[in-house]
Amino acid sequence: MLREGKGTEMTETGIQAAIRKRPSSRMARAERRFAWTMLAPSLVVLLVVSTIPLIVLIGMSFYTIELTQAWKNGFAGVSNYVRMLNDGRFLSSLGVTAVYTTATVFLQVAIGLGLALALSGNFPGRNLLRTAILLPMILAPVVVGLSWRTLLLTPRYGLIDFLSEAIGLGSRSWLGDPSWALTSVIVIHTWQWTPFAFLVFTAAIAALPTEPFEAARLDRASPWQTFVHITLPLLRPAIVIVVIFRSMIALRAFAAIFAATGGGPGSATEILNLYAYRTSFTSFSLGYGAALATTLLLVTVAISVVFFRVRQRA
Amino acid sequence: MLLVVVFVWAVPILWVVLTSLKQRTEIFTVPPTLWFRPTFENYVTALETYGIADALVNSAIISVLTVALTLVIAIPAGYAYARHRFAGRRALSFYTLFTQMAPAIGILLPAFFIIGRLRLIDTFPAIILVYLSITVPISIWLMITYFEEIPRELEEAALVDGASRYVVFGRIMLPQALGGVMVTGVLAFIEAWNEFLFASILTGSQTRTVPVAIFAFLTTEETLWGPFTATGVMIMAPVALIALFAQRYIVKGLTIGAVK
Repeated sequence: MLREGKGTEMTETGIQAAIRKRPSSRMARAERRFAWTMLAPSLVVLLVVSTIPLIVLIGMSFYTIELTQAWKNGFAGVSNYVRMLNDGRFLSSLGVTAVYTTATVFLQVAIGLGLALALSGNFPGRNLLRTAILLPMILAPVVVGLSWRTLLLTPRYGLIDFLSEAIGLGSRSWLGDPSWALTSVIVIHTWQWTPFAFLVFTAAIAALPTEPFEAARLDRASPWQTFVHITLPLLRPAIVIVVIFRSMIALRAFAAIFAATGGGPGSATEILNLYAYRTSFTSFSLGYGAALATTLLLVTVAISVVFFRVRQRA
Repeated sequence: MLLVVVFVWAVPILWVVLTSLKQRTEIFTVPPTLWFRPTFENYVTALETYGIADALVNSAIISVLTVALTLVIAIPAGYAYARHRFAGRRALSFYTLFTQMAPAIGILLPAFFIIGRLRLIDTFPAIILVYLSITVPISIWLMITYFEEIPRELEEAALVDGASRYVVFGRIMLPQALGGVMVTGVLAFIEAWNEFLFASILTGSQTRTVPVAIFAFLTTEETLWGPFTATGVMIMAPVALIALFAQRYIVKGLTIGAVK
């Protein structure tokens, strides 16, 4: 590039070339240099804290790295991945991840949309509502998970268990019973993140055009017809985006489940993220943990590619 | 409807606050009691006996430094992506987006491995550097959106007048984007302050943050509800205060990509 610039200067001397070429190419070069200077720190940091670690991760997944049995360590080829295929706990964690992600995203969209529709427009207490509903989203997931586990779901002393008993549904071990534990952590996630869907849908509803609704009213469409044929199609882009955003976050969920159940009882609430964590830091099998984490990375990338296509069409 | 909403989302949080102010004996009454004489005993116990005071200091140091570094790195990058044309711009902005998608556990494992080799586990630089992997990509994206909103005429006029690009950036664009800087800073702070996964492995006795330290109250034998809730309130308090004063900013920041 430098050579090319010099060449131009040498062959095209004279006032014409100076006006036509030099100012613009000099500007372009200056702009390029400026842009790279501004970008350099971020590129260096992302390389060091993100790209290099991910490459190391993939490398680690081809090794046996046992922190407590160092004599086993060494190159392992694809054996970690082969082990995965026959690992019931891995397959179960994939299932739990799928159920957890689908259920939490569906519930957030359904409840968030319902609330946004019900509470659209102006009414007294609107600001109070906004503050109240904003809070869960910015709380530490660890505190949310632990608080639900203790204050709300502890049999007998927890508020929810107390209410459940009071209205005749009985007391149960919400997080200790495998069939209820997954439901409980799904409810916890939904509780914390439905406000996000609510805020996005509230903004989308406020921006809806009014004409189609007036036309529907003139045509005497029922509220349900209006909702299905007008509101939903108009809100489709917002729904698609909430689904994308929330799925990506649900796939990364960790702290709230870790705090509420630790993945248990057994592996009833063990999403892939948690299984990789437990393998690496409870069983100290870093190589196998890396293979699990690499799988999660691939799943995340695959899903986001699909979502990206969907979003471009929406 | 409104009441149901406020009840469902506010009561669990209020319940944590109320419990933190109760005496040990009042916490475990059936039915739960609403009337009691508030006490700060639990806070004192948590801060003094369980080392939460130190953890709060660690959390503050780590969060503040993470925010500062994030802003220094992300603001110029956001400006470059938003305004300047250069070869590889599209590819690089995609790269930034990609780094944001990487699951945290995928960063934690190699980070643990590398930082362990360097004997830097339980040090501030290690955990702060790792936090940049979460905060920098999202912050760059936020800043791109804010810089794009600023009218081009402003900087073009200055450039024509002969101001250097650095001056235009520092004197004209940065003040214009201050709202965006606020949003980005607030969100990065919340992210770092609340973070648990990385901290659970990469911090130790010297650097332990509050979200990790709070587990001290939940042992296999018993759960100390009083000091636990008091600590929970202390974790929630700073972000709740920010939410109160910067509500608009947070709503905008959290939903920015989704609403546009």
